[in-house]
Amino acid sequence: MSQIELRNIRKTFKVYERPEGKWALLRGAFSRTVRAVTALDGISFTINEGELVGYIGPNGAGKSTTVKVMSGILTPDGGECVISGRVPWKERKPHVARIGVVFGQRSQLWWDVPVSDSFSLLRDVYNVPPGQFQKRHDELVETLDLGGLLKTPARQLSLGQRMRCELAAALLHSPDILFLDEPTIGLDAVSKLALRAFLREENKKSGVTMLLTTHDMDDIEALCSRVMVIGRGRLLYDGGMEGLKERYAAYEGQDIDEVIAAMYEELAL
Amino acid sequence: MRVYFSIFRIKTAESFQYRLAALSGSVTSFVWAVIEVAAFTVFFQYAENAGFAGGLTLAQTVSHVWVRELLLFMQPYGIDGDLIEKLRNGDVGVELCRPLDLYWHWYSRTAAGKIVVFIMRCLTCFLAAFLLPGGYGASLPVSLAGFLLFLPAVLCAFLLCCSFLMLMTAVRTNIQWGDGPMYLLGLMGGVLSGGYLPLQLWPDFMQTFLLFQPFAGICDIPARLYIGSMQSSEAWLGMTVQLFWLVVFIALGRMVMARRLKSVIIQGG
Repeated sequence: MSQIELRNIRKTFKVYERPEGKWALLRGAFSRTVRAVTALDGISFTINEGELVGYIGPNGAGKSTTVKVMSGILTPDGGECVISGRVPWKERKPHVARIGVVFGQRSQLWWDVPVSDSFSLLRDVYNVPPGQFQKRHDELVETLDLGGLLKTPARQLSLGQRMRCELAAALLHSPDILFLDEPTIGLDAVSKLALRAFLREENKKSGVTMLLTTHDMDDIEALCSRVMVIGRGRLLYDGGMEGLKERYAAYEGQDIDEVIAAMYEELAL
Repeated sequence: MRVYFSIFRIKTAESFQYRLAALSGSVTSFVWAVIEVAAFTVFFQYAENAGFAGGLTLAQTVSHVWVRELLLFMQPYGIDGDLIEKLRNGDVGVELCRPLDLYWHWYSRTAAGKIVVFIMRCLTCFLAAFLLPGGYGASLPVSLAGFLLFLPAVLCAFLLCCSFLMLMTAVRTNIQWGDGPMYLLGLMGGVLSGGYLPLQLWPDFMQTFLLFQPFAGICDIPARLYIGSMQSSEAWLGMTVQLFWLVVFIALGRMVMARRLKSVIIQGG
């Protein structure tokens, strides 16, 4: 039984453009051209419970837009999306109560207060029973090694430390599904490895379904058995990492980044 | 309900860090009020022959000045800056990933931000005003009954102010609007709340309008009860006006926000 199902999802954004040239600034104040940019052009896929799927594509391909649609914070122009039996943007509240989201470039921690305060707030936000919360909390603090960070305000954490706290924050309510939008962005090698080890372990142990968008191919190779490639709003590849390598590797031993670059080039992305 | 209280608490804890800013605000308020008191004293003593009667005595006006400083935290401008920032940079997406009603979520934040200003800026300034020599400083409420009615009126004023700010926040959810209309509305609301000049010193023919318009409830109605220019027996009228506009602002704010959220664009990748 598939947990996430998208069928023919479409989304177009409007971009306002100012005319160029002499007096453009002035003219732009009165008339502007509207250009429609297609972010998603009929995306369809299904993901089963407990899968760990990598979602890659060049910048602007529509990865984040897909994640936003699946988190229920963006309404698509057309198509169907059912996650655990719910349409995300129609039943936003019950839907988001069962998912966790980590945006690598945004923070869900309160900037000026100790991390543990943010955690207690999340307990109330998701209405987690105290006993269950404490158990989960201690578990995450231990595996993510957060013991020394709990009393520190989020603003004083390093990026690697903050990312570990973000992960804990997204998992405190034991969600069924975790969306990770570029979680390793800007992290050093040690933090990256620790993060990957944690994600693999968490996926195996609690069976949480994970969808990981990233530009770091090593993330995908280390974690995901299945990878989806998106470009110009369309799904271009869906399958194992090996198949991807076979199709695009020109010679043996080619670096994974080169494989991906070759693929993007061939597909004229 | 509990979660909204938790949000209130964490926001309060966060805002309490800016002690120095609050202290300087308190000093500004104090100096400003002293200047106002001096100006009113001059007007009342020398302008009698110019036909300046007004609806208040000098003692009431001076008392009004200080009560106004006490209630200054409820001025109808200054939407929570964090919220605007979240709308601007797309962090509102993270907020929408919480199983909460965004209106009450942000209402709690707005309210908490105001309470901190009240305690650290307004209350200190008001208490300090009792140290000034008689005739210039703050005075006790004219009657116990007036004071007992003043307290619920302040509570209504507080809720009214927050619901107005939430309406402005909801309108502001369309980030392309910019801040201009907000400043305009805020300034108008400030004048009409009696925050610059007691409403009862305005011309007689405007009095009915001034009492029934929405902003009177934010500052002038509680202040009237405190200084005794509104009889205790008329308090029901004042508070009915307050509650009426409270309901209107909440209904409008929720409506605008619900509509805006359908089309809200989460900025950034």
